[in-house]
Amino acid sequence: MKSKKIFIFSLIFSSLFLITHAFAGEKRLLFHAGLGQRGALNEVKDVFEKKYPDIKVNFSYKGSGYFIADITRSKQGDLFMPGEEFYLLQAVERGFLTDYNSETDIPAYFVTVIITPKGNPKNIRTIKDFAKPGVRVGLGNPRSCAIGIWHQKTFEKAGIWDKVRSNATMSAKCIPELGNATQHRAIDGTIVWATTAVLYLRDVEIIPIEHKYRGIIRLPVGVLRFARYREEAQQLMDFILSGEGRNIFHRHAYAVNKVIPVDKQGFCLDDTTDKDMRFLVNAAKAVKNKSYPVNEKTVGPLIGEVLRQKNTKRAGD
Amino acid sequence: MSGNKANRKAFKALFYSFAGFLFLYSLYLFLSNLDQLFVTEAAVKTREITDVWGDDREIMNQFAGGFWKDPYFWKSLNLTVVTTLITTLIASIVGIPTAYALSRFRIKAKSIVEILFSSLIVMPGSVIGICLIIMFNYGPLWDLQNALGFRFAHSLFPGMVIASLVLSFALGLSAWKAAFDSVNPRFEQVARSLGSSRWRAFRTVTFPLAKSGIIAGIILAWTRAMAEFSAVLFFCGTFMELPSSRFSEFTKFIQMDQADWVSVAVWAQVEFGNIEYGFALAFVLVLIGGISVYIMHRIGAKGYIW
Amino acid sequence: MKLAVTTRGRWWPALCGTITVSILASYLLLIASNWIYLGWSDTVYFFSKTRMWERFWLTVWTSTVSTFFSLLIGIPAGYALSRFRFPLRHFVASVIDLPIVVSPAVVGAFLFGITTRFPFDWISEHYGLYIGRNVYGVLLVQFTVTAAFCARLMKASFDMIPVRFESVSRSLGASPLRTFFKVVLPMAKNGIIASMIVVWARAAAEWEGLMLFVGATEGKTDIMPFAIYLDWNSGMMGWVTSMSIVCILMAVSAISAMRIIGGKSNVW
Repeated sequence: MKSKKIFIFSLIFSSLFLITHAFAGEKRLLFHAGLGQRGALNEVKDVFEKKYPDIKVNFSYKGSGYFIADITRSKQGDLFMPGEEFYLLQAVERGFLTDYNSETDIPAYFVTVIITPKGNPKNIRTIKDFAKPGVRVGLGNPRSCAIGIWHQKTFEKAGIWDKVRSNATMSAKCIPELGNATQHRAIDGTIVWATTAVLYLRDVEIIPIEHKYRGIIRLPVGVLRFARYREEAQQLMDFILSGEGRNIFHRHAYAVNKVIPVDKQGFCLDDTTDKDMRFLVNAAKAVKNKSYPVNEKTVGPLIGEVLRQKNTKRAGD
Repeated sequence: MSGNKANRKAFKALFYSFAGFLFLYSLYLFLSNLDQLFVTEAAVKTREITDVWGDDREIMNQFAGGFWKDPYFWKSLNLTVVTTLITTLIASIVGIPTAYALSRFRIKAKSIVEILFSSLIVMPGSVIGICLIIMFNYGPLWDLQNALGFRFAHSLFPGMVIASLVLSFALGLSAWKAAFDSVNPRFEQVARSLGSSRWRAFRTVTFPLAKSGIIAGIILAWTRAMAEFSAVLFFCGTFMELPSSRFSEFTKFIQMDQADWVSVAVWAQVEFGNIEYGFALAFVLVLIGGISVYIMHRIGAKGYIW
Repeated sequence: MKLAVTTRGRWWPALCGTITVSILASYLLLIASNWIYLGWSDTVYFFSKTRMWERFWLTVWTSTVSTFFSLLIGIPAGYALSRFRFPLRHFVASVIDLPIVVSPAVVGAFLFGITTRFPFDWISEHYGLYIGRNVYGVLLVQFTVTAAFCARLMKASFDMIPVRFESVSRSLGASPLRTFFKVVLPMAKNGIIASMIVVWARAAAEWEGLMLFVGATEGKTDIMPFAIYLDWNSGMMGWVTSMSIVCILMAVSAISAMRIIGGKSNVW
C-alpha cells in the first residue's frame, strides 16, 4: 500500500513538474488578430520566431467585432490586428492603443472580390447580379465582422441593398464562414476579401469587381497599451511592416502597394490592384486546370498557394 | 472500537471532501459568473462608440442585456424547445424499436453496432458537424436535394432537427437498450406462449416493465438535444440577422423567424460583445439542464455506454 | 398452437429490424462520408504529414494529463456519491453533473468568466502561471468537463459492487481505507479502467470550451477537434476531413478497448 501511495504521489509531482517547466522562460506575445488573417500571420510567426528565437507568438483569432469586448474585459494582449481600421480606431478611442499612426501602420490591404461555387450556377458576373431574384446570397453580420460592413457599403453604393438583403440566406459571423458556405454550395455567391478567396481556389470561381465597387480595406496593426512585452511587440510590428513581412502578406493575396488611391468611402479609384486580381483569377484557373502553366508570370506571388492546393484533391498544406 | 469509529469518520471526511470539491467547483463555476449579468461602465462606453448597435443599445445596457424584453430570446427559446421536442419524438419513435431489436434479436456483429453507437457519444461535436455537412452537400443526398429544390443545410426545420438528432438518438438508444436489457425476456415468452402476439406481448408486458427506463431515456435524449452545439453550429449556422422576408409565413406564425439555437446564441452573443445577454442565455440553459438532470436523479435513471 | 404463436404479430419484429437496419445504414454513411469525400490518395498524403501527428500527440498528452487529474478527484468522489447517504443527495449530484449536461460551449463561457477571479488571478500573480490562452487553459477545460463525467462513471462502477463485501471486510477488522484499497478498488478495477478509457476519449473530444475560452495557437492549444474547427475556417478541407477520420478512429478504438476489457460503464 505504501509503495502504491508513493507511486501515485510521484506521478502527480512529476506531471506537475513537467507541465510547469515545459513552458518556462520564454517571452510569449499575445496577438489578437482577425480570423481572416490566420494563414498569413502563421507564416509571419514562423519566420519571426526563427529570427528571434527567444520570442514566441500566441494568437487569439476571432471575428473582428469581438475584440473590443474581449480586450475591455481581459485587459490582456500585446498586439492588435483586426480586419478593419474601423475596429482599431475604436480601440484607440477607448485608449487601448496610444501611438497608432494611420499613415505608416498599414502593412497590407484587403481587396474585395466576388466568389461563387464552382461552375457559377447562377451566372454572377457583376455586383448587380446579386439583386436578381432567386440568388442565394451570403452576407456578413456587421456586428461581428468587417465584411458585413463592406457588404452593406458596396450594395448601398450600387443601390440594390434592399434587394440583396431579401436574397440573403445566411448571415455569417466571420468571413471564413462565407468562404465555406460557398465551397460547400450552400450559397450562390458572396463578396469576400481576396485573401479569403485564395484559400478556396479549387472549389470556387473568383470574379474581380469593377473599380467603382472594389473595396480597398486598410489592415492596421498596433501595440496595445497594456502589453506585457512592449519592446518585443514593437519588434514584431516592425517586422510585419518591413518589406519581408509585406512580402509574406503579398503571397497570401493581400495588396501591399504603399499607396492605393481610394475615394472617401474606401472604394478603389484606379487600376493599382488590377494586376493582383489577374493573378488571383489565373491562380483559380491553375488549380482547377492541370495543364495551365504555373509561373511568376501567370500567378505572380500566389505561386506557393497554387502549388499547395494543386498538390492534393482537398486543400491542405 | 472508538478508534475504529474515528477512523471511519476520517475516511468518510476524506471521500466527502473530494465530492465536495467537485460540488463546490461546479457551484463556483456557475454562480461566480452571476456578476457577468450586470452591465459595467466600460461595456456601456464600448457600446457608445460602436455604432452598429444602433437603437438596441438602450435595452442592452439594462441588467442581463434586458433579455426578457427581447423577442429574439423568446423566439430562440421557442425554436430550441420545439425543435428538441420534435427531435426527441423522432428519436423515441425510431429509437425504441431499434433498442428493442438490439436487445432481443440475435443480430450478427451486434458488438460492432454497439461500438458504433457508443463511440458517437465520445466523438467530438465538430466531427459530427463536418460529417453532416459533407454527407448532405456531396454525393447522392446532394442530388436528391437538387431534385427536390430544397436544402437541408442552413435550414431551420430539417437542418436543426437532423443536427440535434444524431447524438440525442445515440444517447437515448443506450438508455432504452439498457431498459429493455433489464427486463427478463422470459416474461415475454410466457405471454406469447399464452397466445398473445409479439406486438401484444411487447405492448402489454415488456413496455410497462421497462417504462421508467424508457422515460429516463426520453429525458436523456431531450437533455442531450438541448446541449447540442457544434453540429448545429456547423450544419445550420445563425439566423438572427437574416431579413424577415427570408422566413415563410408559417415560421413567422409560430414565432420562429430570426431566432437561433440557444447555445449557439450564447456563443454568438458573447462574440458580438453582448456579454451580459450571452451569460443570461447561458444561465437559462444551465437552469433547464439542472432541472432535467435533477429529475433524472430522482427517477434513478440509468444510461449505459455499453 | 405453437405455430399460431410465431406467426401473429410478426410485423412488429419485422418493423424493428427494418428500422434498425436503416438507422445503421444512415449512421454508417454519416461516418464514412469523410473517407468518400477525401479519397484514398489524399488520406495517405495527410496521414504521412508530421503536422497531423504533432497534433495527435498534443491531443493524447493533454487528454491523458486531464484524465489523470479527473481520476484523482473522480474515483473518491464517485465512491462517496455511490456509498454515502446524505441530505440533498440528488441536488448535490445534479450540481456535480451540470458541466456535462449543459452545452460545453456554455461551460467554456463560464470558464472564460472565472479565470479573472480568485484562485486563478492569485496563481497568475504569484507564480506567473497564466491559465487561459495556453495549454493550461486546454487542461482546465478538459478537466472541468471530464471530472464530473468521471465521478458519474465511477459512481456507476461502484454501484455495481455489492456493499456486503465491504461490511464483511470491515467486520473482520480492516480499516475503511484498507477496505477501499484492498477490496473495493480491486473489485471495481475493470469498471474503473473502462471508465478511464471513456473519460480519456471524452477529454480528447472536447473543443467547444476551447473556442470561447482558450483560442488558437498553432501547435500549442489546437488539439485535434479544435484544429478541425480552425482548419475549417481556413478552407483546408483536406486537413479537416483527415483529422476527423483520426478523431473517429480514436473514439472507435477507445470504445472497442473498453469492450475488450469487458468493463461496463454507464453514464447515468
